[in-house]
Amino acid sequence: MSKLGVTALAVLFLGGLWLIAAPFAVGYQPLGGGWVTATRNDLWVGALVSGISFAGLVVYAADALRELAARGRHARGREAESVTD
Amino acid sequence: MVRRLAGAVVAALGLMAGLWLMLAPFALGTQPEGRDWTDPTTTEFFTGVGFAVVGLAGLLAFAAALRAELVARGLMTVRAAAPEPQPEPAQAAAPAADQDLAALLAPLAAALVEEMEQRGTGVQGDRTEAPPAPNGRARDFDPFAGREYR
Repeated sequence: MSKLGVTALAVLFLGGLWLIAAPFAVGYQPLGGGWVTATRNDLWVGALVSGISFAGLVVYAADALRELAARGRHARGREAESVTD
Repeated sequence: MVRRLAGAVVAALGLMAGLWLMLAPFALGTQPEGRDWTDPTTTEFFTGVGFAVVGLAGLLAFAAALRAELVARGLMTVRAAAPEPQPEPAQAAAPAADQDLAALLAPLAAALVEEMEQRGTGVQGDRTEAPPAPNGRARDFDPFAGREYR
């Protein structure tokens, strides 16, 4: 189940990047002119979604690594105990 | 557990961002009323639909994973489904019905026993004098003759 969630976070991150690029890619933001309302909305929402989803991915990876490190320490501790016995 | 909780929160934010994107063209007034959807409206609306669907899927996935981890750690117990109650009104009413029936039949039974006792003494006394049955066999008293019992 967590894999599906991580995939969703990655898709949200890519979607946020798309939303930042959309006004210029689709062409409803005139080049050289001031930003229109739709552009401003897309940039803000896209930046927020991509930033938050990226942070979520980083937190997920960090917590998974921390758990792996804790398990590794635990396993090494057990090996040392068995050798001394 | 922290990563699953953080993932659920982020997915929920993505879901809300998607809902906002679907509403934004109409809320901000960038979509003229009564006219076909413009390019910004189409882009924002369908991107919002995608965000909402993906955010909901991620939220459900992280919530299920979080629940499974809580159950595995013993911090949450899964309650078994309660068995369906069996209907018992018929069983409860049965003793009362039996008592009523017994009270109703008690005088009949007493009268029957009394009659059987009287006839039993009469048959013993008059056995030699009793007329033979039409088929030649002895005429015996059968108090239950002609009755049907279940």
